[in-house]
Amino acid sequence: MRIPLFSRFLPCVFLISVPFALAAQNVATASLPDAPDAAQQQSTQQPGSSSSQQTQPAHPPDLSDLGFSPQQTRSDPQLQARLERRTHMLKVHQRLGLITLAPMAAALFTGGMAKGEDRDGGPFRAPSDANLDFHAALGGLTAAMYFTTAWYAIDAPRIAGTHHRGPIRLHEALAFIHGPGMIATPILGIMAYRQEQNGERVHGAASAHGAVAGITIAAYAASMLAVSWPPKFLHRH
Amino acid sequence: MIRRLGIVLLFGSMAPPVLAQSPFVLVKSTLSYHMSHPIHHVDGTSTEAKGKGTCGGAKCDFLIAAPVNSFKSGDSNRDLHMIEAVRGAKYPMVVVRTTLPNPIPADGTIYADLEVQFAGQDMHYPHVAFQKSTSGKQIQITGTVPATCSDFKIDPPSFLTVAIKNEIPVSVSMTWQPQ
Repeated sequence: MRIPLFSRFLPCVFLISVPFALAAQNVATASLPDAPDAAQQQSTQQPGSSSSQQTQPAHPPDLSDLGFSPQQTRSDPQLQARLERRTHMLKVHQRLGLITLAPMAAALFTGGMAKGEDRDGGPFRAPSDANLDFHAALGGLTAAMYFTTAWYAIDAPRIAGTHHRGPIRLHEALAFIHGPGMIATPILGIMAYRQEQNGERVHGAASAHGAVAGITIAAYAASMLAVSWPPKFLHRH
Repeated sequence: MIRRLGIVLLFGSMAPPVLAQSPFVLVKSTLSYHMSHPIHHVDGTSTEAKGKGTCGGAKCDFLIAAPVNSFKSGDSNRDLHMIEAVRGAKYPMVVVRTTLPNPIPADGTIYADLEVQFAGQDMHYPHVAFQKSTSGKQIQITGTVPATCSDFKIDPPSFLTVAIKNEIPVSVSMTWQPQ
């Protein structure tokens, strides 16, 4: 049988080329610092070490290689604008809420002065008009500032797909206590004011004015604390 | 027969020393930013980062990315504020690129130059120390990126009118595996 010349040389080409290929692998490995031996490479499978025979530069990975969805990587300037408006409104909400604490506390302290005296079964002494008016003015200012504060939170843009988690839930839940409380307190206050203006002892629902105001302020203060919880000294880092 | 064998052997011997680029994938990760305020500390964590590494020649290129909105601090209101502050709707991804020598240095402390894209800014962090350990086929990398608000032109968010500290170090814990 006649074997073509080309075929006869093929085994020789193989025998010659194999040592060169192996040498190239060794050079690629040995020329790098900290090159592990082959056994170590197989056992550890480190990045790079597993491909110790690599001599060609790899293409650096691209963001599109990672498998994020287009929704995750898409820029949304409109959402950014909504978030900025939301942050602005909630910052105003926060500042006004802090400022509202001042007339609220003052109204609480002047509440005692706006109360008639009825001691030891003696005749009822109505509070002075000045005390009543001062307390009523503070109450009115508190209510006005409170509802302005609330409006900035209510009107802040909602962000779709946001599930409320954490202290903000308590902050919002407490609004269901101090919100109605801030409606009821002035109404009961006006009722009590009229009764005292008439020289009557405060009676009926109006007598709950002080208690409702106290609960309202407590809920309001708790609401402020809720968003700053936990405080630094309790934080376990 | 001999001709076939010869052809097979020829092409077998001509196979280049490199065929596959042996990509590595990030199989598990925890990225946490730490924010400090006079009243309280906050940590926001993401476990949704994805990453890939390719090695070739004398270097390995790694890319790690995470959606900004995947960082959760335990308070949805704060998280939305964070996204707003870091312009996360406009620039929704935080992307980190780094190059390490091939093969990657042995276990222990390794140093990497990081290119971070975040909040519409590019920032270079040279020589950041990470701890590397190997467990079977997996490689664990842990470390902290010394990020600051000013690096990315972020107005430090404030609470009760007091701003947070400028430093927002990001703790990194990653597990890589050959693909």
